Amino acid sequence: MDKIEVRICSGTTCFVMGSSFLNELYEIIPARYGDKIAVKPSLCLGQCSKNDKHAKAPYVKIDEEIISEATVEKVLKAIEKRLN
Amino acid sequence: MFIDIGCSQKKKYNQNAYGDYFLSKRYKDTNRVIAILSDGLGSGIKANILASMTATMLLKFIEAQSDIRVACETIMNSLPVCKVRKISYSTFSAIDCDEDGNAKIVEEGNPQFLWIRGNEILEPEYKVITSKTFTNRHMHLYHLKLEKGDRIIFCSDGVTQAALGTKELRLGLRREGLTDIVSFKLKEDSNISSDDLARYIVHQVEMIEPDHKLKDDTSVACFYFRDPREAMVFTGPPYDSEQDNLYATSFYNFKGKKAIAGGTTANIVARELNLEIIPDTNINVGKLPGISYMKGIDLVTEGILTLTKTSEYLEAGEYKDDAAGKLMNFLLDSDEIKFIVGAKINQAHYDPNMPVEIEIRKNVIKKIAKLLEDKYIKKVDVRFV
Repeated sequence: MDKIEVRICSGTTCFVMGSSFLNELYEIIPARYGDKIAVKPSLCLGQCSKNDKHAKAPYVKIDEEIISEATVEKVLKAIEKRLN
Repeated sequence: MFIDIGCSQKKKYNQNAYGDYFLSKRYKDTNRVIAILSDGLGSGIKANILASMTATMLLKFIEAQSDIRVACETIMNSLPVCKVRKISYSTFSAIDCDEDGNAKIVEEGNPQFLWIRGNEILEPEYKVITSKTFTNRHMHLYHLKLEKGDRIIFCSDGVTQAALGTKELRLGLRREGLTDIVSFKLKEDSNISSDDLARYIVHQVEMIEPDHKLKDDTSVACFYFRDPREAMVFTGPPYDSEQDNLYATSFYNFKGKKAIAGGTTANIVARELNLEIIPDTNINVGKLPGISYMKGIDLVTEGILTLTKTSEYLEAGEYKDDAAGKLMNFLLDSDEIKFIVGAKINQAHYDPNMPVEIEIRKNVIKKIAKLLEDKYIKKVDVRFV
């Protein structure tokens, strides 16, 4: 199975909207899933400028799936769903 | 040629104000620089006021006059004499030069400047002009043709008279001692910046004084005529996205150092030139997003927050080792900085639910440009696209 890639946006909007609170994912994910999942920052995922009113920063991308208003719980739940 | 200017000063021991004053101004349109180093009589607040008044008036006079000689003569003839000590209220060295290497220097009372070319100290000819009102006042007028790599060093008598009366240096450091210090440093680092050289000389002077206590205000101003170090900062997506490729390509082909400040901007450059953005593994340092790497680009950071912090650092003159600190050093290590500022606005930044106010890019850049020009004497060009 290919490695799942998790990318946390640290662009202006995401950072201001709290993407730094997602920093603990950099510790939780490797501790929980080992090298099955790669987690890294992204300079900008470019989602906020798409101007979709229903989506909100901060954003996290899990492979091709975009998670808006991301929280640690939301991201972990999405990972679990993928693994199962 | 670019004129790299640097000054370092230290106060006389136990004084709380500088008695020397250095002032310089760069004229962008005419590629001209005027700089003055003035030494006020005595030390402390009185000397500070005298020196700053002399330097400020002289700069304005030289600016207004086409001839430095006339401006300096007027000041020399009008500077009052101290009633108690019967000597001039202040002395000065002034330079009016351009980037083609034409320089006029006037000295009145200050130690003779150093002109350095390679490993040699050049001894230029000068004309002595005696004051019409005070016959004991003379100024030296020099006309120089400077070449690339040349350096000019001004100093106050705190430097040449350092350690005066000590067993080792009975007559003080003098010009010969200063020459030795400078020659030694230039042999070690021939490309040293004016700022570093000035700081080095003042530090050495402090070291040779008994107990490292300066007996007079000590100032050194250096001028280094060299090739400019150019830099370009690309920030913000261009207003017309059809021009993305054009701007990305011209940015990438720029021959000097390059920085991108902005996630969307970095994405545009990456997309148009097929480059990869690699975020640094140190995630977020301090209160700012971390930096990223792109092949061929010296620095990649987030946009507005980093720029806002950079302007704060530039204003304070102090920085932390975060993305803004890196951007500040990138800017300060350059002489000529071009900003390419994309005018497209990201609506998400103006969402009323944002917990902090996000500055308008144009305003932050204008502020940074002004600080770089006025406080750090850089040549700045801002282009909105």
